[in-house]
Amino acid sequence: MKLMHTKLPEFIRKMKKIAATLGSEYKECDVVGLENLKTAKMQSNRTGRIERAVEDIVKHDDVHKVEVAVIPRIPESMHSCIIRGFDKDGKPVHAILETINILHPTEDVLIHDCPDVIDRRPSIGKH
Amino acid sequence: MSKLKYRIIPEGMLEGKYIPITAVFIDYADVKACGLTKREACEKIAAEIPGPAGLNMFDMTATTTNSNGLMLDGGMLCIAASDYGKINKDFGYMEMVEIPYSEELIKEEPHLKQWEKNFPGRKLYMGPDPNKKIIPIHNAVLTGRAGNNNSGTEMMHYINMEELLLPITGQLEIMRDGNLELGGTGGVISVGIGMVVGEEYGRIVPRRQWKCGKTAHNSQEYAQYLKSHIPIIASDKSELAKATIKALEAGMIPGRDIGASPSILSVARHMGIKPDMENIEENAFIELASIGCTKEWMTEDVEKLSVEEIIERAHEIIPGIEEPKRYKASDLVQVKYLEV
Repeated sequence: MKLMHTKLPEFIRKMKKIAATLGSEYKECDVVGLENLKTAKMQSNRTGRIERAVEDIVKHDDVHKVEVAVIPRIPESMHSCIIRGFDKDGKPVHAILETINILHPTEDVLIHDCPDVIDRRPSIGKH
Repeated sequence: MSKLKYRIIPEGMLEGKYIPITAVFIDYADVKACGLTKREACEKIAAEIPGPAGLNMFDMTATTTNSNGLMLDGGMLCIAASDYGKINKDFGYMEMVEIPYSEELIKEEPHLKQWEKNFPGRKLYMGPDPNKKIIPIHNAVLTGRAGNNNSGTEMMHYINMEELLLPITGQLEIMRDGNLELGGTGGVISVGIGMVVGEEYGRIVPRRQWKCGKTAHNSQEYAQYLKSHIPIIASDKSELAKATIKALEAGMIPGRDIGASPSILSVARHMGIKPDMENIEENAFIELASIGCTKEWMTEDVEKLSVEEIIERAHEIIPGIEEPKRYKASDLVQVKYLEV
């Protein structure tokens, strides 16, 4: 499975490396939207496509910095909410599971003022 | 070239209340006259509005239901959300489903007995098809900063997170150039909209998840706070009284066929109609009692009034809306025309 999914820290490192090395000069890259995930496995084929997208953006001479924002594709996400109580030693002693559905802005808030947008996403339902 | 008419409440302050996104109301008859599809009409109007907006389109020859199961004069065909002049291609537009009449439907959703009695021959639209709609839970459309939720009755701004409640009865008044009330939603309406009926294609909740007599909020004394702080544009209470009386005269019993909301109970009391106390669950009674509608209040004998007297005194009889102010729709809603 190693070839199929990329570790989260490696995903972030790959994006920063491409931005730093494949442009005409060193360029910063911020990966945002994954801050609440400590560990995760990222689709490897999509990681490669996103690397390509970072490369394509960083190669523009008018680009000085890159941002990779990861937001839910579906603007309504369903979450489990795990409420845990810890004792004085930090050991969990009580927990309740709840659920919450969250509505959030679509990608339009990030691209509305950008003159050059290429949508490489497959349609909903295709991966 | 044709001119497409639409009604609009712009984003910003409206008579001291903050309207978080622009609200647009479109008559399908005007869209058809311009030779446009529903989506095309929404897209053309959205292109005129640079900020976040919710767009609702109506067939005023159809019928629909409100949260409490009252059937109404007019129905909603589709909703959209736009921002920066565009509608998100995946999540910004949704159509409601036309519901065919059947005896099985009436048996499962007894509030629809009003259909044949009060709106015979009309098309019925409620919410979207739950198996085809675009996001899993909410009956909502979203584009950028704009959200148009609960089948077009709750518009919200996803950056400042402010919200506007637009009950369907008020929107139909806007479409008729009728009479409106603007104020704060308050605890009474917050509780009242939770007194739902079971609907397979419900405008708020699909798949008959709650039966009449239950509370969709299920939040006990906290239900009154769920929406209380949100501004509301509602129909004038005399218009709500007319719709309620029409349902009650069709034989609807509060708590059995239609939701036992404070507004319905208030009108029913003065018509001498008692709610089905056996069918209302205890959690619903707790929510109703928290805003003053106790079991004693529901069942006590009060002055019996004629239909005309109830309509005349609707503002005194029907509770709800904080610091309400009454307006002609034309005082709050602008009419615009777009060349298409």
